[in-house]
Amino acid sequence: MSTEPTASADPIRVLLAKPTHDCHDRGVRLVARRLREAGFEVIFSNFLLAAEVVDAAVEEDVQVVGISSSAGGHMPVFEDLFAGLEENGLADVLVIAGGVIPPDDVAVLRKKGVTEIFGPGSTADDAIRLIRSRLGANR
Amino acid sequence: MFDEATLARSREMGEAWETRYRRLVERFGDAAPERATDPETHSGLPLKSAYFPHDIAHIDPGLIGAPGGYPFTRGNLAAQYQLMHWANQPVIGYGLPEHTRERMDLLAEEGMVGYFGQRFYNLVYDLVSHEGLDPDHPAARGRIGQSGMAVYSKADMARLFDGLDLKAMNVIHISYYQVVPALAQYIAYGADRGVSPEELRGNSMNWYHQSAYVGMSAFPPAQGHKLAVDLINYCTRNMPRWNTTNFFGYGVEEAGGTAIHEIGLMLAYGIDLVRACVASGLKADDALPRFGFQISQANDFFEEICKIRALRRLWATTMQERFGAEDPRSMHVRIHTHTSGASLTAQQPLVNLIRTTLHTLGAAMSGVQAMEVSAYDEAFAIPTEESATLALRAQQVIQEETNITAVSDPLAGSYYVEALTDQMAAAALELVDEIEAQGGYVAAQQSGWIRKTVESSAERWQELVDSGQRRIVGRNTYATDAPAEIELFKVDPEVERVAVERVRELRASRDAARWESAMDRFAGIATDFADRSYEELGDGVLMEAAVEAAKADATTGEMMGVLKDALGWRAPHEY
Repeated sequence: MSTEPTASADPIRVLLAKPTHDCHDRGVRLVARRLREAGFEVIFSNFLLAAEVVDAAVEEDVQVVGISSSAGGHMPVFEDLFAGLEENGLADVLVIAGGVIPPDDVAVLRKKGVTEIFGPGSTADDAIRLIRSRLGANR
Repeated sequence: MFDEATLARSREMGEAWETRYRRLVERFGDAAPERATDPETHSGLPLKSAYFPHDIAHIDPGLIGAPGGYPFTRGNLAAQYQLMHWANQPVIGYGLPEHTRERMDLLAEEGMVGYFGQRFYNLVYDLVSHEGLDPDHPAARGRIGQSGMAVYSKADMARLFDGLDLKAMNVIHISYYQVVPALAQYIAYGADRGVSPEELRGNSMNWYHQSAYVGMSAFPPAQGHKLAVDLINYCTRNMPRWNTTNFFGYGVEEAGGTAIHEIGLMLAYGIDLVRACVASGLKADDALPRFGFQISQANDFFEEICKIRALRRLWATTMQERFGAEDPRSMHVRIHTHTSGASLTAQQPLVNLIRTTLHTLGAAMSGVQAMEVSAYDEAFAIPTEESATLALRAQQVIQEETNITAVSDPLAGSYYVEALTDQMAAAALELVDEIEAQGGYVAAQQSGWIRKTVESSAERWQELVDSGQRRIVGRNTYATDAPAEIELFKVDPEVERVAVERVRELRASRDAARWESAMDRFAGIATDFADRSYEELGDGVLMEAAVEAAKADATTGEMMGVLKDALGWRAPHEY
């Protein structure tokens, strides 16, 4: 499938965030590059607390938040993230995740509202397809 | 290396081979895999499909040398594994200190052994410690005892090590930037046990250079570089048995760099570090003998072996020529191999056992000093007891069953291996020149050039995987839909509560006045340290103050808080 942008509508704005202590950033940096190439506006950030992600989401007015986690410790991050988004009227932001998230956690996160978890073997194109299918194929 | 007659015959045979080879390629044309006529290494170095004497005729035999002889291409010592096997150094660390201790004891029981029967413990700190926090910090939730051990104080050191003979073992402290508190707490704990710093054996990572390519918050590069030099000075004076610095080449390849990036960056950093050590008043021969390397062993079997041979040669020649090193130990590249984690897959995880066995075999053929073999389930979680034991068994099978330990540098003299070793050395030196032209490693770290270079390499690798040019079994070839069903390790959820309780209890029970005065002094010295030049380093006061604070039960979060305030602390993407 082509990942080229097909129309001139405002680009989709995506915040990709990674915990500061998690050194495994090879994947998320690559995803950031690919999303940019596909025409999205991408903000990449590291965070210590989920509140920082919420602040960045508000400030940058994003439609998508992607959390990358490959070292564990992600469950409290998502709890705080959803609470923060809701508080700030951003409950409709599309939340996705990637990295190494154990299968047991995947089931829980889906229930909490993480739309898709891109584990090992996923490609940036998978994420691009999902975002376009939710937020408009022509952007 | 060869006389004219031999070379003439070699060229003749080479030409005849090439004609026959081209004929085969033409005949099987369409069915031949891509790059059949222009093969290359994973780093992108051009290869031939067969090698001959004339392919290595240009190499000065003195640069190949003998095992244990300058420039140590063929190994540091005259004996490789004949008298002593490589050390087993599996990475250990999870949960509370006593959980980590259980795994240490289990692996020791299963035969994990260092040099000449000594105990080596390769211990990794948890995510909270890596971030320089304490377990009661709001950001610690979910991260305590994850990916490492929840050790934050001298008291935790006691929980980890009580009952072990500190003088008869090596402890490798795998920290990121919390190098100062981790070592200070270990020294303080040693003092409680009546063991002085000069009797302690082990390793600090001193890993400030890795923020060039590893994505974690860090001290600004120049401040980190000063911390590294200062620690080397302190240990040189006070801890003669302590290995001060680990060159984190492994992280380069894991982040997507090539084998050439790995050795080129480590050599460039070595030059910058020794230069700064000399500026601080040390001689090259004071600092160099206590440096070590963590090097990756990844998928391109021969390139990864040649990489190590090239690194040994480059390090020895560079340290001698540039810095006048004379002590052979200054010219030795002591390598702890970490088999490549990034080349493991979550798909068909048992296949990882085959990959790691090949990595281990390659490392053994390269003549490395110690190994950590990744467990097959590391693409998911911390290894289970079963997977950690299997990873150790891979080392033991190769050590004990294959007889490859009988001969040093068994691949030496292979036309291919010698040609590729030389090619890699030349390519790595080009990278070093490029970095030196920018003002050296730390300048290229500061400007983001290193990060950009490694990131572009990661992207190239991904393109090769996506297009199917780089095959990964179970991922882009021979894939199945069957989900991986393996039992995964989980850290006991009680760990968080206990770790938080312990740190609160420690704060309530310690001598508040002593703690306050030690921390005040540490903070004052850290503030002063921030403005120092390299020439003003080396009096050891920063480390001494850290040890005093650790003796007064200062925690990792408290001490790192002081250093972050004084020196700065930034997210990795801000470089």
